[in-house]
Amino acid sequence: MHIDWFVFFSQIVNFLILMFLLKKFLFGRIIGAMDAREAKIGAVFMEAEQSRQEAEAAAESHTKRLRDIEEGYEQMLNKSRQDAEAYHGQLLEKAREEVDFLKARWMEALRSERANFLQELRRLAGNQVYAVSRRVLKDLAGLDLEERIVEVLMERIEAMDEQERKKFQGPAENSGNIVISCAFEIPPAMQARLDDVLRRFFPGISGIVYERSDDVLSGCELRSNGHKIAWSVKDYLDSLEERFYSALYGEAQDWKQAKEGDHHEG
Amino acid sequence: MEVVAVHQISPDQVIFFTWHFITISATLVYTWIIMAILVIGSLVITRNLSSGRKMSRWQNLMEVIVSAIRSEIKEIVGEGGDFYFPFIGTLFLFILLSNLLTFVPGYVAPTSSLTTTAALAILVFFAVPIFGIAKQGVIEYLKEYFRPNFIFFPFHVMGEISRTLSLAVRLFGNMMSHEKVIAILLSVTPLLFPVAMQALGLLIGILQAYIFVVLTMVYIAAATQSHEGAGHKPKVHKTT
Repeated sequence: MHIDWFVFFSQIVNFLILMFLLKKFLFGRIIGAMDAREAKIGAVFMEAEQSRQEAEAAAESHTKRLRDIEEGYEQMLNKSRQDAEAYHGQLLEKAREEVDFLKARWMEALRSERANFLQELRRLAGNQVYAVSRRVLKDLAGLDLEERIVEVLMERIEAMDEQERKKFQGPAENSGNIVISCAFEIPPAMQARLDDVLRRFFPGISGIVYERSDDVLSGCELRSNGHKIAWSVKDYLDSLEERFYSALYGEAQDWKQAKEGDHHEG
Repeated sequence: MEVVAVHQISPDQVIFFTWHFITISATLVYTWIIMAILVIGSLVITRNLSSGRKMSRWQNLMEVIVSAIRSEIKEIVGEGGDFYFPFIGTLFLFILLSNLLTFVPGYVAPTSSLTTTAALAILVFFAVPIFGIAKQGVIEYLKEYFRPNFIFFPFHVMGEISRTLSLAVRLFGNMMSHEKVIAILLSVTPLLFPVAMQALGLLIGILQAYIFVVLTMVYIAAATQSHEGAGHKPKVHKTT
């Protein structure tokens, strides 16, 4: 265990020199580089933190904007819905009006058609009744319908009381022609008989005029001074028309009820 | 190649040159070699230092060592440890390199010389009060020797001397005995077994460098923080 004192002090000096050199060339530089790196990393972290805060702020801003847009969208949607509902109501009202209008027009057309149909029915039925009646009268009683009509007229004139005759004839100073309108031509023999009857019961008349008219349905009428005596199948036809209309209406009601029943079942 | 014979207990006994009282022994030569390696290595490594993410492997190694020493100082001594860093860092690197190079044939570790370890221990012996006084002031530092009362003053002084002695002898004993064991084993079993012992020697060398430095830090911490009461308590290390 020997200590060389020269070596001992040399080692102390060596160590101090080494410490100085390492401090200068190693530790200082390495620590400087590490500190610089740490500062850089710190700066990067700070930058990252700043970027994160900016990103958070941007995200928040975008979220707010998105929320605003969604609210705006909701409002627009509600407004559009209300507008659409209002427009729907308007369209519905308009359609209802159009339907009502079409219905009214259709009803009018139907009514008109029905009137035309009844008019036509009346005309055809009148002709048919007239033809049938004439034939029946001729076949069963050997009578002519036109003659019989004129005779009925004459019977009615004869059956009138004095009051009625005066009323028909009018005041004596103002009595004019008697107009006889028939749906057929009155044979001359019958015309003579009718003339006799008229002149006998209405002595004040100035003349008798015969005219043919389709308006008098299978009949004849006498007009004088605003009054008239008539016979035609019109009355019978009115009754027929009324019954036919009633039957037609009843049939239509039954059909409507049946259709409504099908609709409810469906 | 044997520089130190088995019967020579220290490289101090291998004299290369002598003139009056100047003797250039193997201890000094190998110390200079280690110093040269450390200084030239430092110059080379720190020539192109990078403060970015990419760096050289040597820079990375040195940063690992430096940051490990710094964190150890911080852990034991506390904040402000950078003041002691050059002293402790130099001690560690010098002892570490001295011990690690033992696997090089013909090399004799300067730390296997009691002269070197005594010099290092004396440096610690003086460094501790210097740091303590620098930190606390002369009065406060000297008061520590009289705590808890003046009777303890001789014990404190004896403690200082004995721990310095233990520092020197521990390192010297471990390194010297390891070299002698290797030399004896080589003569008994020339193959394989000495290799395992060499590997063990590397571990012992690292461990001894660590122990020397940690004990130094504990002494410094004790000298600089004793007055600070229950503040930072030095980490307790078991020493062999």
